[in-house]
Amino acid sequence: MIRKSNTRMALGLSLVAGTLAFATVAPAQDYPNRPIELIVTFGPGGGADLMGRQMARFLEAPLGVPVPVSNVAGASGNAGLTALRTNAADGYTMGTLISLTVASWAAGLGDNEPEDFRVIAVAQSSPSFLFVSSNSPYKTAEELFAYAREHPSEITVATSGYGTQDDVTLKILSDAGVALANVPLQAPAERYASAIGGHTSAIYEEPGDVAQFVEAGQLIPVVVFDTERHPEFPDVPTSAELGIDISGLDNFRSIAVSADVPDEIVAKLQSAILDVAASDEWHAFCKKTYTCIEPVTGEAAQAMVRDFKDVIAAKLGS
Amino acid sequence: MSTIHLLAGGFQAAFQFWPFLTIVTGLLVGVVAGAIPGISFVNAMAMALPFTYVMEPTQSMLFLGGIYVGGVFGGSISAIMINVPGTPASLPATWEGYPMTRQGNVKRALAIAVTASATGGLVSALVLAFLSAPFATFALRFSQPEFFAATLLGLVSVIAIAKDQPLVTMVSLLLGIAVGTVGVDPLYGQARFTFGVPEMESGVRFVVVMIGLFAIGEVVDLLATNRDLRPKKIDGKGLGVSFRDILNVKGAILRGTGLGCMIGVIPGAGATPGAVIAYGVEKQVSKRGKEFGTGVDEGLAAPEAAKNATTGAAMVPLLTLGIPGSAATAIMLAAMMLHGVNPGPLLFIMDPSMVYTIFAAMIIANLLMIVAGIGVAQVFSTLMRTPPAILAAFIVVLSVVGAYGVRNNVFDVYVCLAFGVLGWGMKRIGFPTAPMVLGVILGPLAERYFLTSLANAHQDWTVFFVRPISATILFLALVFVCWSLWPALKPIARRLLGRKERFNV
Amino acid sequence: MENRLTSDHRTDAQVGRAQSSGLRVLLPTVLPAMLVVLGLVLPLFMFEGDQHPSKIGLGPGAWPDAILKGMSFFAALWLAREIWVLGRAGRTTTLSPPDDDLSYSYAKAIGGLVMIVAYGWLLPLTGFALTTAAFIALWCVFGGVRKPLVVIPVSLLGTYALLWVFMGLALMPLSRGVGVFNSFSIALLQLLGIY
Repeated sequence: MIRKSNTRMALGLSLVAGTLAFATVAPAQDYPNRPIELIVTFGPGGGADLMGRQMARFLEAPLGVPVPVSNVAGASGNAGLTALRTNAADGYTMGTLISLTVASWAAGLGDNEPEDFRVIAVAQSSPSFLFVSSNSPYKTAEELFAYAREHPSEITVATSGYGTQDDVTLKILSDAGVALANVPLQAPAERYASAIGGHTSAIYEEPGDVAQFVEAGQLIPVVVFDTERHPEFPDVPTSAELGIDISGLDNFRSIAVSADVPDEIVAKLQSAILDVAASDEWHAFCKKTYTCIEPVTGEAAQAMVRDFKDVIAAKLGS
Repeated sequence: MSTIHLLAGGFQAAFQFWPFLTIVTGLLVGVVAGAIPGISFVNAMAMALPFTYVMEPTQSMLFLGGIYVGGVFGGSISAIMINVPGTPASLPATWEGYPMTRQGNVKRALAIAVTASATGGLVSALVLAFLSAPFATFALRFSQPEFFAATLLGLVSVIAIAKDQPLVTMVSLLLGIAVGTVGVDPLYGQARFTFGVPEMESGVRFVVVMIGLFAIGEVVDLLATNRDLRPKKIDGKGLGVSFRDILNVKGAILRGTGLGCMIGVIPGAGATPGAVIAYGVEKQVSKRGKEFGTGVDEGLAAPEAAKNATTGAAMVPLLTLGIPGSAATAIMLAAMMLHGVNPGPLLFIMDPSMVYTIFAAMIIANLLMIVAGIGVAQVFSTLMRTPPAILAAFIVVLSVVGAYGVRNNVFDVYVCLAFGVLGWGMKRIGFPTAPMVLGVILGPLAERYFLTSLANAHQDWTVFFVRPISATILFLALVFVCWSLWPALKPIARRLLGRKERFNV
Repeated sequence: MENRLTSDHRTDAQVGRAQSSGLRVLLPTVLPAMLVVLGLVLPLFMFEGDQHPSKIGLGPGAWPDAILKGMSFFAALWLAREIWVLGRAGRTTTLSPPDDDLSYSYAKAIGGLVMIVAYGWLLPLTGFALTTAAFIALWCVFGGVRKPLVVIPVSLLGTYALLWVFMGLALMPLSRGVGVFNSFSIALLQLLGIY
């Protein structure tokens, strides 16, 4: 009996050894020769998830391998980024890096730094708007701001939380005399419902996330926080036109890898992502979510992340 | 076109070969995934998402809808058979269904559970089809204070259903709520109780805690007691239940269904509070309330009906408003958006056939569930014949995979195992674990709703009492507490009133 | 302790428990006392490092603080009740442990717990495939299934089925392990046709 199981054990061990012989380290020119995991740093259903999933879907053709998506949600996206940073830097793990997470670094969350990541391409970006419900008494930003100047903190705005770019925007507005009360609603669904149901006076959001409500006429955009008007909403004034200059707080979404990934692999991924970003399908998707931009790559992308963190940190620190 | 016509068109579309096969497949995937300890239906839906890329938009919704309906029930199969809830909503099924299994009435328990679940799901699907517009308007009137009040009602019902001392239950519940506060807070984005470990910022997910406390604890007990999972003597031939038995619990099923439909529209709440509140209410209302916990039909039927009744109700805000209230409906939203379909009021105008096909599919799925549920349960009882050690090994592996799969995070596995050890210890000394899990589930919701209510009301505390719906629910919660604590208070009250003659009970 | 013995249904198990360690006697009072302290001390360790929350509303610490204080309060009541019933006949303690002490094998339970924890701990290091196959085999042997003709196929086929479902079908990124184990896992997955 014992001898029998020993024989089996030897058989099993030789099987293991045989498989190990197969396991040779693949050189970079063979890259990619197995699935590349894309870590979406938020749960299914949000803007980052949609971007990641569409990107993964379209990347399979240019890369020639499957690109499975895994949602690693938690700590404003920092859980997923920690996984990205600590996985082997062999180019077989990518992740989404979005502005909300960068803002959380400025607020002291997580142990990730801009230098830990190599941003391959910023694929989507959109300025944020203030929207009001269709049955709101204020239909324009002038009316809304005028009321807020006379009645500080009476107008409530649904945002994604304190210490985010939403909060920073409201702080700048408040410094300019337009004090709006921040109602932090973390769950997007609750944010939308509170604005549509009239439980908050307004909502701070990027247009793509509330596109269906805007198209249905339930939400009306009143002001955009950008240097120029949004091409899709030419009638909506910028905050600068109303005398309060707020810009550089756009919601961006990028694909990043660990900073230690070799250059030639980054180059391969970058060209694949640029191929996708140039495709018609991607354009159709971006247009629907109002997030089309010319992809930002290389040092410019890296600088975008760094600057965003500094802007938020400066404003939160004050 | 009237609703009837649209719905008839929906049925016609759903009964085509491929759509129908999609519903059946989704349903089976859901029931099986739900029944496997560790793998929750939300997990299964997220895993199924890539498969929907190749489908038509409507078909993808039929698939996910099938998994949703099947998965919410499936969790009760393992709860009833091996005392491990497949999903948190099946907790009450372990209290009432598992005792029935221990008495040899496993078939009866499963039959009652599946009938109640299907009825609840069916009614809520009909509500979805015929009353979605008024229901959506009703849902929009709810805001943060109402959500807080309803969550509080859920927490309060934990005290009502506890078999243990109310004091211990309270401590366990509050301990659970405290566990739920670990990680980044929902408003300020500040990390709490991380003790310098960055991974702790992600917080503790309730599914992970549940898997640890229940699955791991049960498996270890299995090993230590050499308990045989094979039901000693399976009750009779056939289904083990008569039509009359089902009729006898119709009151419980109806009450559960009603509660489930109401609670389902509350975002974030979903099936678990629905089931728990229904169990608590049933315990107070039922004539056999005192026997609850020993395998009472009503105690099984009410929460089963309630949890599946939340499925249709949770779809209302998604389809009519484009607002997903729960993790499951958020995944459905993702599937639709990936196909370029935006749910919401415009969908009803632009593509009513899609919406009504989904309604029809929900109805069909609930009807088919009786067959699917019994079928899968049969397969599971065959699996039970394998030696307990082998079964236990796989339960451990699946639990670990399930804990990992919640967020694809290794740290969650450590959390799960830590709670496994803790749960085992708690069980050995008789410290109740169920209130703790419910605290972890409902605590974070209660905190968020409480603080955002205040933020939206300029920090005015009266907001909870001046809004009629919120005030009503809070009043109900108070009544509920008094009602459930009355048996414990009665002797004291009698004593205070000087009537000592019947004190020695 | 004596209160248990005065209860009507006096079983062998209960006698056994009464004779077992003093821990059982101390536990009902030590546990709530510890929980009281825990609830009062934990709030001091709520935040780490230099976090600077917005100064609006109650702040991020208010809720956990209230909950923990509440827990301390109820644990204190519980402790009071335990002390109250101590040494009184006819009253039961607050906790009701399961009545299966004589048939319960603590050695096996602790062995099982150690194996489960070891499994979870090794998983990210040695990879899912290898660790799972080893765990299933060991658990079967520990649980009394000792025939190699059963154990080996169950562990290997079971692991293969799990790999196929979760890594192949559901595309979950289960751990491949580190270093040489990572290379082994990749080779294995390619051999099995999953990658």
